[in-house]
Amino acid sequence: MEFMKGFLLTLVSCALVLVVLNAGYYKEWFDGKPRQYWFDFLKEKDDPGDEVAIKTARYGVVYTISMRVKEVVEKKNMPHAIILFEPNSYYRDSLHIYNNVRAPEPAVFYYYTGLEGVWTNSPDVRKANFIVRITKNKGVTLDEIKSPGQLQQILESFKKYPPIL
Amino acid sequence: MPMILFLLLLVCFWVSGFGILTLFRIRLKPAYMVTLSLLLGVAVASFVPFVLQLLYITITGPTVFGALALVALLLNIPSFLRMRHSGLAVFLQPFRPVRFRVRLYEVPYWLVLGFLIFVSVWRCYYWPPTSRDALSGPETIAEYTVREQTMINSFFRLDLWSTNNQFKSPFLISLQVIYKLAGFPFGQVWLCVVFISFTVFLYHALRERLHPVLAGLLSLLFMMAPEIYAYTFMILYDYSNMVFFCLGLYFLYQGLAGGGFAGTGSPPGASSAGSVARLHAARPGAPAMIFFAGLLLGIATYIRSETLVLVVLFLPVIFWVQWRMAVRGGSAVARGMGTVASGLMGNAGEGGAGRGGDGMKVQGGAVLKKMALTGLFFLLPSLVGYYLPVQLYINHYLPVHYDIGALLNNNLSDWHPLLQRYGDIVSKLLFGSFSIHLWGYLFYIACALFVAELVFVRRFTREACFWLYAVVVVYLALGFMGFALPMFNLTETTKRAIFKIVPLLLFYLANNELVLRLSRWISGWEVAGGKNLAVGAVAGGGEKAVTPKVAPAAGKVGGAKARGKTGTGGNSGTGGKVGSGGGSKKKNRKK
Repeated sequence: MEFMKGFLLTLVSCALVLVVLNAGYYKEWFDGKPRQYWFDFLKEKDDPGDEVAIKTARYGVVYTISMRVKEVVEKKNMPHAIILFEPNSYYRDSLHIYNNVRAPEPAVFYYYTGLEGVWTNSPDVRKANFIVRITKNKGVTLDEIKSPGQLQQILESFKKYPPIL
Repeated sequence: MPMILFLLLLVCFWVSGFGILTLFRIRLKPAYMVTLSLLLGVAVASFVPFVLQLLYITITGPTVFGALALVALLLNIPSFLRMRHSGLAVFLQPFRPVRFRVRLYEVPYWLVLGFLIFVSVWRCYYWPPTSRDALSGPETIAEYTVREQTMINSFFRLDLWSTNNQFKSPFLISLQVIYKLAGFPFGQVWLCVVFISFTVFLYHALRERLHPVLAGLLSLLFMMAPEIYAYTFMILYDYSNMVFFCLGLYFLYQGLAGGGFAGTGSPPGASSAGSVARLHAARPGAPAMIFFAGLLLGIATYIRSETLVLVVLFLPVIFWVQWRMAVRGGSAVARGMGTVASGLMGNAGEGGAGRGGDGMKVQGGAVLKKMALTGLFFLLPSLVGYYLPVQLYINHYLPVHYDIGALLNNNLSDWHPLLQRYGDIVSKLLFGSFSIHLWGYLFYIACALFVAELVFVRRFTREACFWLYAVVVVYLALGFMGFALPMFNLTETTKRAIFKIVPLLLFYLANNELVLRLSRWISGWEVAGGKNLAVGAVAGGGEKAVTPKVAPAAGKVGGAKARGKTGTGGNSGTGGKVGSGGGSKKKNRKK
């Protein structure tokens, strides 16, 4: 009798679990997240990848851009490069690529690369000697800022685009 | 190698945590001892690199791991001293395996919970930290701390215009540093320790009150709150803050209730089916329990400084309970603050019946002094947890400064934004389609059961009142903080701060009279047979209540006449007509 009751309660537990897992948003969430994570795990456990590959997969295009900048800076052997980023509002309002591409925050850029970055409204913006430009045609380029005048010109051109995250 | 260090760190956490529990003379069931030890150990570890930094000691592998080991040993000095009399039993007895019956009907929940835990742990281990708040502050600081051996490193030379995350608690930085030094490039796996320990603790705590079928269901609903689940593998402050805040309140209630859910109403050890605090020190240990709660809340404050506001708002509860005890004759006060809540905070009516009770009248001055001391010791850890990272570290160590005063709303006389914020929290974060994406249906379920209890039962157990008070306090405080500090925005900061409400809701649900009745009904049916489906047949319905040994002591288990009015004395202060709530003894006397 005791076993039978235990068995019936087990059925109740199973039913409750199934109800929760299939109820409204829970089902959508469970299928989209934990279940999907499980399938990801099955792939990831066999192909662990190195740290950079994992970071690239996780952080996406911003990380790729940052690492590309780092590569160029290292190649050109410029130890004191300070990188100016175009404002994200420029990507949003002018280039309309904000959903795909974003300039990293200086703090995050430093985490990715160890390089110093500035935004157009940074107190240290005058120190910038390179600018990362992203265009639809040319992709990502790293241009040198050769004079304070040129920097001023660049900043003027972005005046109507305040930096946003 | 990292795995070996991971295991060594676990041992270190466990030893440190055990040392703290011993200092407070707290002895719980092994499931609680282990999980609490680990959680406390993580908290202790989170101070270690921070304190090294405060002392200007370089942060390297040897200094950090050496300090961790040293702290673990220092915290266990009382245990070592006691070892001279009791031998190794000092360490082994608290973890002596107790009879733990695995019931088949728990397995479905365990499978799903285990699956969710596994997936979370893997992601925590495999993926790097992702949240912007971590990357633009603590994670980067931790990364460069490992490289430069100081927490005040090159990160602070950057343009930090876009972030204030560098000013947040060193809790995250310290733990990230430890695990990075241990060889985990992304750190982060400490979060698994917090997550698993809390989940196990929560499940057991709910099982104290409810039949495992219901405890499992509540645990599942908690785990399936999408937003909270996401933060079990994404390091940030709010999940850990929620854990320590919830534990702090849990033990505060224990302290106010006299040492255990079931403790005060029945002789310790006798049918205390739900006694979390299976303590040799159940009653006299309760003041320690309040201070222990203060410590846990202090850790929560260290993690998120605004928790201090919430902690202060629980002082009235402590004072009120103490004052009421003094008014009621004060026997408990005379015995020590531990039992102040006998009969007041939801136990078996012993103190509740005691107006003019059996003890001597206590002098008003003595009561006030005790109130002040209890309040002070309760609040002190939180004040320290606030002062160290916010006042001392930011103002005297960091090269950049943070003017919190400048962030204050300078138009505090206009209350419209405050009301607006309270409205927004309810309409956007607690209810509505967005809330379902955050918490699942938990708030709806809790709300429905609350209304049902209000309408059909028309009163709440004292323990339910405590948890409802906690929910309301958090809600009101979050609204006010959002009003006073415009940076405390709705959709990010407030949303994550609501994590704190969710486990409180679970504890409320575990004390909802209707849920308790259902729990007892299931337990009664399980123990006594289908013909005795008396509501309230079995005390509490918790873990031990369903065992035949406990059941008779729980007051006519399964007796058809029980009809739910039997004073159970068993499981912990459920109040109301059923079970052992405040006043149940009185009712029995009337019968």
